[in-house]
Amino acid sequence: MRSIALLAGAALLLVPALKGQDTTQAAPERPFVTGGVYDKPYLTRLLGRTALGGYAEAHARLERADGATEEFGFEAKRWNIFASTQVSDFVRIAAEVEFEDGAEEIKLEFAAIDVSISRQLTLRAGMLLSPLGRFNLAHDSPQNEFTDRPLVSTELLGVALSEPGLGVLGLFPLGATGRITYELYAVNGFDDGLITDSPDGTRIPRGRGNFEDNNNSPAVVGRMAWSPRLGLEFGVSAHHGAYNVFESEGTPVDQKRMLTIWVFDAEVEAAGFRVMGEASTTSIDVPSGLRGIFASGQRGFYLEAVRDFGRGWVRTMPRSFFSAGGRIDVVDFDRDLDGDTIHRYTAGFNFRPTRDTVLKLNYFRGTVRDRFNNPTEEAGFLFSVATYF
Amino acid sequence: MRRFFRRRATAVLGGAAVVLAAACADFTTEAPLEGDVFDGPLPGLTPEELAAFVRGDEDFGRAFSPAEGLGPIFNNVSCASCHSGDGRGRVENALTRFSQAGSLVQHLGGPQLQDKAIPGAEAEVLPAGVDVSVRLPPPVFGVGLIEAISEAAILALADETDADGDGISGRPNWVTPPAFVPAMEPGGGSGPQLGRFSRKAQVSSLLQQTVEAYHQDIGITSDFLPIENQNPLAGSPTDAADRVADPEISQSTVRAVVHYIRTLAPPAPGADTPERMRGRALFVQLNCSGCHVPQLMTGPNPIAALARQPVTLYSDLLLHDMGDDLADNRPDGSANGREWRTAPLWGLRLMRQFLNGDAFLLHDGRARTIEEAILLHGGEAQAARDGFAALGPGERTAVLDFVGSR
Repeated sequence: MRSIALLAGAALLLVPALKGQDTTQAAPERPFVTGGVYDKPYLTRLLGRTALGGYAEAHARLERADGATEEFGFEAKRWNIFASTQVSDFVRIAAEVEFEDGAEEIKLEFAAIDVSISRQLTLRAGMLLSPLGRFNLAHDSPQNEFTDRPLVSTELLGVALSEPGLGVLGLFPLGATGRITYELYAVNGFDDGLITDSPDGTRIPRGRGNFEDNNNSPAVVGRMAWSPRLGLEFGVSAHHGAYNVFESEGTPVDQKRMLTIWVFDAEVEAAGFRVMGEASTTSIDVPSGLRGIFASGQRGFYLEAVRDFGRGWVRTMPRSFFSAGGRIDVVDFDRDLDGDTIHRYTAGFNFRPTRDTVLKLNYFRGTVRDRFNNPTEEAGFLFSVATYF
Repeated sequence: MRRFFRRRATAVLGGAAVVLAAACADFTTEAPLEGDVFDGPLPGLTPEELAAFVRGDEDFGRAFSPAEGLGPIFNNVSCASCHSGDGRGRVENALTRFSQAGSLVQHLGGPQLQDKAIPGAEAEVLPAGVDVSVRLPPPVFGVGLIEAISEAAILALADETDADGDGISGRPNWVTPPAFVPAMEPGGGSGPQLGRFSRKAQVSSLLQQTVEAYHQDIGITSDFLPIENQNPLAGSPTDAADRVADPEISQSTVRAVVHYIRTLAPPAPGADTPERMRGRALFVQLNCSGCHVPQLMTGPNPIAALARQPVTLYSDLLLHDMGDDLADNRPDGSANGREWRTAPLWGLRLMRQFLNGDAFLLHDGRARTIEEAILLHGGEAQAARDGFAALGPGERTAVLDFVGSR
């Protein structure tokens, strides 16, 4: 109820902004989220209303830890298909279905209906891509400069994070080039799998998949981003809600245990470099009987910088270019311990025959520390191909 | 190449290829040196024994979630989460054992305090008026060699009445293994068996140690102990919170872990430097070696790598009165509240490396240096302790260097 009230409050706050606005669907000059749901290079348009597309991604991986080969093989990593339909001037729907690891996992990653009242206020409902950090909103492999997604995203936040929900989003222009965007949803949130189904200590991604709210207590997730110009954006997101079953048929069976996640993201394009990063901090109310083993606080970040070069160096591919860059990943699974961490440094060298296709060669080196802080040195060569279609 | 690439592109790609080729050879991490780890297999295992070792290693490292049977009450989530790198644990992982005048007081939740509980269960709280002993998780490596030492070799060191008048009167702890340990299992059988394991040598069998650790420490039932451990003082039935059918692991999983720990090699000692050789001589001269017997031999064994091997553990595996400071005043088996099994010294060289730079010594981890541990010795070790205390700084350093290099 509190979440619904929050959403209603947010909608009320926006009403004055709507006054006098043109409520027809005006195509924004910039996508709502660069590389996001409605910023895909769909290859096929049917009757001008429905667009189909997707992306595919394949890996070759050699990973070693403390001198032992952990993985040496190939992965049909992802084959995703997406579709969007402009139902009317005000209504559109988009969906993405993911086949991961040779269809070992098939998932409806996104399927939402947008009812657009104005640029400042759109109602969205369905299976939502949670606005928890920019990376979760725009994580397609052909866009990423590195083969593996940032560890803070996969290990701490559970990207790609989809949740059934309902809420609003919108955009407020600021001057000639700037803008503020927001998304705010009530969602089912995480379930207690983040502890009860998690042998290695608290792992938030294990609490995903709460497709029927386990505790009848929606969570709230939202992101606000300020972008003074294209290529410069700062965002803050939060996810807050109870994850456990605290009541059964009206009988209290536990106290409400809250999970709160904060994510700060930034994107800066300057001097030919694209610099992106995301930092996250989480707090989890862990049952007293599990404290000391299951973390009540986690944190992590990634920071990457990439520069394109060599446009047209390949004579047969005039639109091709190369890029090179590096990324730092840090994840701390338990803020109260010295150990239970991952530090990883990745160097990447990419070739793009066109903007929508990429061949990536990565070398990473890092240290995984167990709860005793014992280190395991890890390293790997990763080669991957990803393309939109 | 130049047909496809411009000159600069060829140079960049060529450079990248050279770097990559070099990187492949050197940049994919290196294995730690043999002898510098606690989790390596004994040399000389057969391929079949090594395959079983690997399987047991996986099970030893497996952490349990509540959905997989953890609890309902427990201390930690896996074997490996108490034994760092298969060595000793930290004080944060120490277990609290309690009893009352020798009784295991199971009606009060004894003999071990499970201070963690899964959601829906109630963790134990130490009852009043019980005898308490805090126990640091001991190293796991080398236990197969300890098991394989012939009973006669250990008993030959016993001197219960101090007949030789050296002030040391080691005695065996004769214990009765639980019924689930079959007679053909080392340390099993219906009558009293020689205790070799745990801080007071109150356990005779690796199978018993493993089954009870799963049951008491992790709350995992097995074919051997299929009924959940409960908190008898809880307001609600503890085991109702654990929805996983019992037994939660099979006999074969337990056997795999037993094989794994049985075939774990001890780490290699450090090199003998002149300083350490001097320390060794003083160690013998002070009669530290009266209890910390440098070497014992294994007897015949179905695993060839364990048969007739020297075991350089620096222990006689017997019980000794260690004086007032170390007494826990809690009997365990036939061991009284002042007696402890001589702690093996092997692995001390790498102890800090696996404990985040710290050292935790003695049964409860209270000593943070080897010197502190020596100075806390009393009882039968009083003379050796006093002898060490009387040494000059250089001699002390030599002893400490020697002991710390084991």
